[in-house]
Amino acid sequence: MPTDRQVLAVFADENQTVAAIEALKRSPWKLDRVHSPLPSHRIFAALKLKKSPVGWFTLVGGILGFFTGFGLAIYTASVWKLIVWGKPVIAWIPFVIVGFEFTILFSVFGNVLGLLIFGGLPDYKGLRQYDRRCSGEHFGIVASCTEEEQGKVIEFFQKQGGEARVFE
Amino acid sequence: MSESPQLTYAQIDRTVLDTLRPPIGAYWLVIMVLILGVLLGVACWAYQIFIGIGAGGQNIPVAWGTYLINFVFWVGIAHSGTLISAILYLFRAGWRNPIARAAETMTVFAVSIAGLFPFIHLGRVWVVYYMLPYPNQRYLWPNFQSPLVFDMVAISTYLTVSTLFWYTGMLPDLALVRDRATGFRQKVFTVISLGWTGKHEQWRHYTRGYLFFAALATPLVVSVHSVVSWDFALGIVPGWHSTIFAPYFVAGAIHSGLAMVLTLMIPLRKLFHYERIVTMRILEAVAKTIIFTGLIVGYAYAVEYFLAWYSHNPVELEAFRWRALGDYSIEFWIMVVCNSIIPLLFFFKRIRTSIAWLFTISILINIGMWYERFVIIIGGVAHDFIPHAWGLYWPSGIEWGIMIGSFSLFFLFFVLFVKHLPSISMTEMKETLGEGGGHAH
Repeated sequence: MPTDRQVLAVFADENQTVAAIEALKRSPWKLDRVHSPLPSHRIFAALKLKKSPVGWFTLVGGILGFFTGFGLAIYTASVWKLIVWGKPVIAWIPFVIVGFEFTILFSVFGNVLGLLIFGGLPDYKGLRQYDRRCSGEHFGIVASCTEEEQGKVIEFFQKQGGEARVFE
Repeated sequence: MSESPQLTYAQIDRTVLDTLRPPIGAYWLVIMVLILGVLLGVACWAYQIFIGIGAGGQNIPVAWGTYLINFVFWVGIAHSGTLISAILYLFRAGWRNPIARAAETMTVFAVSIAGLFPFIHLGRVWVVYYMLPYPNQRYLWPNFQSPLVFDMVAISTYLTVSTLFWYTGMLPDLALVRDRATGFRQKVFTVISLGWTGKHEQWRHYTRGYLFFAALATPLVVSVHSVVSWDFALGIVPGWHSTIFAPYFVAGAIHSGLAMVLTLMIPLRKLFHYERIVTMRILEAVAKTIIFTGLIVGYAYAVEYFLAWYSHNPVELEAFRWRALGDYSIEFWIMVVCNSIIPLLFFFKRIRTSIAWLFTISILINIGMWYERFVIIIGGVAHDFIPHAWGLYWPSGIEWGIMIGSFSLFFLFFVLFVKHLPSISMTEMKETLGEGGGHAH
């Protein structure tokens, strides 16, 4: 049966939120998302979240940066040769600095890109189904259900101590 | 570490959001004074562009004057921002949370100001693009074996990374401001908060990404000031050509940056009623860290003398004798006293818990650290190998004007920041109340 309704329940504290998540997981309704004003380890644990894959983007960025930095230094030294006594044109030791800085720079680019892609940012549409109190001191749980069941879900959240509202 | 157990999430939000209310008249007066300072700097720079680089006091043998001193000074100031936001974050030092945002902001602005000085020192600033590695007809590329090009790569990387780190860390707070704002302000914050809603999926990736940011910024910050030190250490000038320069510069940078954190946070704490958030214990923790960095800096000063003595090199011996007893001896003793002796006063609890002492000592350290760069940069080339080549330097009025402009610009940016963006991380403060700091997952 299609779940075309989203019920957002707002809770005043973390304990109530964690208890409501646990209760919702035992219910027939689907937990869609949890909003919180801070990253809560207890909510992460209740949701059994896996480790974020953002690090892979960071790693790929770092590898690209490493080769870009070294590649740039080697290429530029090769096309404009500065011959100074017997010193090597391609000097590895000073190029480590360039390689290192580019590694960090591109890792950070990868990190930000991963964060934006996996975090779904920017996400201006998400603001339509959101309670603005959840960025400050409240927590929000969103459950998906059918139109027929929305009353039951609201009642369920109210029993958990939440204040519920429905989004289509 | 729970600094203020009586605080609630709502109180933290209210305290920080109250700072974003329309300012009083005195604020605009401060802005006006700072703009005047910036205009003075701009006018001096414009004059130098029209007249030529000789408008500054630099000449043979001292070709690097206050422009390089200020460059190194501002890069140094930038360092404690990353120490506080990244290194202390990795160490899970909960006391960093209330001051991390201000320190990160200080980093971004200080690196930006530092980045101006190579432009100023260049003279013909319109050819600055020569430094960039871009394809051109002559196949003429920057020399990546030069410490000055290392520096350009390192500083531009540091500016980019610290800006992204600062902005990413601010996203949840920008969303909070958006949710409490109305009208045009709300529209602006909606755009810059990227539609952040604090969904668990967003937090999951954010916390991981933030941890990587910190892990990447930590080696970067060490590398950047090491690279700055190599601008000098890779030259054979006596007083510069030393293997201790990299750690010596990094420690000095953090020392000056921590002092600047106190200089900025103490008035901010008073004006914005942050006493319950930026508690005395936090200021004390900064003071204790300053003792540590001050001891490292003092040790480095002593080691320089030891190396000169141990080398039996007459040029080195003369350079260091002259440093303490010669024409710039006053600057040298200001450096030693302000950077390594006065900070020891923080061993006394009565002093490190006194706002007046903390503020005064922080300013003295800033002065001392500026003079440290003066002593190193000017002293090295003013008195090098042969007496025939010796010469003295003192900044010209144009240089002083540009320096006043740079300080005014830094404080102008900071004063604008504190009234327009959250100057304390509300998210991290809430974490401090909850689980003792650190939000990595």
